[in-house]
Amino acid sequence: MSASVIEPALAELADWNVMDVNVRIGPSGIHGHLALDKNDLLREMDRFGINTAVVSHFTAEEYDAVEGNSGLECEVDPRFVPAWAALPDAFSIQSVSARKPLVARIYCGPSRHNFSTARWCSGPLFEYLQQYSILTLISLEEFHSTSAFLGWEVLKTLLSNFPHLPVALLDLGYRSDRYLFPLLERFPTLHFDCSTYSAAHRQLEATVEGFGAERILFGSRLPLYTPGAPLAVLLTARIPDSARRAIAGGNLRRLLHRGEA
Amino acid sequence: MPIVDCHGHVGIHPDFPAYKTGAEEMLQVMDLLNIERLAITSTLACYNDCARGNAEVDRVLKEHPSRFLGYITVNPNPEGLALAQLQRYAHFHTPPLIKMHPACQHYPVNGPKYVPVWDYANQTHAIVLVHTWDSDPECSPLLLEPIARAYPKARILLGHAGVTWRGYEQALEVAKTHPNTFLDITGSQSHRTILEHCVRQIGGDRILFGSDLPYLEAALSLGRVLTARISDQEKEAILRTNFLRLLSPGGL
Repeated sequence: MSASVIEPALAELADWNVMDVNVRIGPSGIHGHLALDKNDLLREMDRFGINTAVVSHFTAEEYDAVEGNSGLECEVDPRFVPAWAALPDAFSIQSVSARKPLVARIYCGPSRHNFSTARWCSGPLFEYLQQYSILTLISLEEFHSTSAFLGWEVLKTLLSNFPHLPVALLDLGYRSDRYLFPLLERFPTLHFDCSTYSAAHRQLEATVEGFGAERILFGSRLPLYTPGAPLAVLLTARIPDSARRAIAGGNLRRLLHRGEA
Repeated sequence: MPIVDCHGHVGIHPDFPAYKTGAEEMLQVMDLLNIERLAITSTLACYNDCARGNAEVDRVLKEHPSRFLGYITVNPNPEGLALAQLQRYAHFHTPPLIKMHPACQHYPVNGPKYVPVWDYANQTHAIVLVHTWDSDPECSPLLLEPIARAYPKARILLGHAGVTWRGYEQALEVAKTHPNTFLDITGSQSHRTILEHCVRQIGGDRILFGSDLPYLEAALSLGRVLTARISDQEKEAILRTNFLRLLSPGGL
């Protein structure tokens, strides 16, 4: 990526090969003024030195998995890794599996696709995702209409039931550590993005000191949030440069490569 | 360019483990990010005990007078405590810096028990930092509109500028009509293009940088400003000169 197109404050990112796990594309009924089409999204990624991104579709999030996946199919680009929306029924599992996915995203929350992640409801879906090591994205925003406590209980049960499923939690927010840290200790397949997580003072440093950098993935929440904020946090965190680069993209590429293998 | 930061704290936080919160640790981060001065309020005072909290700020100011400025945090309960605290800690700064956190104290910013504080702020041309939140019945930015009108000599910082995108719109609605109101962009939500939107709406002269150190990551707010599509002059105003101007006696 050319340094000349990157914001001057972030110029040193030019050779970092940044990969973003938390990007959305398509029209939004809620955030219409911020949504970006493919070309504008790529330009915005260029401005912040983001080379590649895992991309999900607003239509899947706000409306329907099948419609969202159709929309995502239309946005194919070499710089995007699609995150296909998955539901627990057999048809959905079959149609997602036909896409040979590296990443799936579930929208299980009561105000979204509204299903349980427990075995009795979603067993076959998570067995499939686990079998093929498909990185599974779950946003903590799924649980905003319930209590934070309940959301974390659901996640704990899911991780217990499917101990080899690679999971990336998105949009944790910075008040999560009293839930997150015990889960990180128990479940080595648990990863999370830093988009809203690293908002607390020196939180990234403290987490790397306690757990290493391997489970942290760079995420921006483009197009809703500016990548300038989490990138500035990453750039100024007092952590080893190897950890900084792993968070910037190395960890995510490793997870996706495992899926390919 | 050294940064002057309008929104920081001392203390810890009840609902998440805050890291590296000591004054010395904050100074390390301030040096790293080139934050020359930080205006602080006590979290203990916001949540629970104004008297002990303001004393905590007093101690930090005495230890590091060139790096920290102190807000006097006021609580409307019990009646009389707020004015007593304002008088006791009047030496923090002239004009006074006052912090109100109506959400923590479960009392609306436009409630009658705050009237003596607003009178005091108006008389002393105080800088009043009010925690605000989108549509909150106790601290919506919109509640500050009649207050800004009634107390035109108080300089009111709309803390967090309402936080959400809608909260920002509410803060802008107030700021557009009241020159004694200012947007403090401290916050965890990094809405893309919001800063550009604010500058278009009210110009760059009434927007202030705040970090929320040591709860929020100062680099987060700083990254938002440094990568916004606004001019370098506007960035300098937001990061430094706007708050310095307010701090000077008679400055608006």
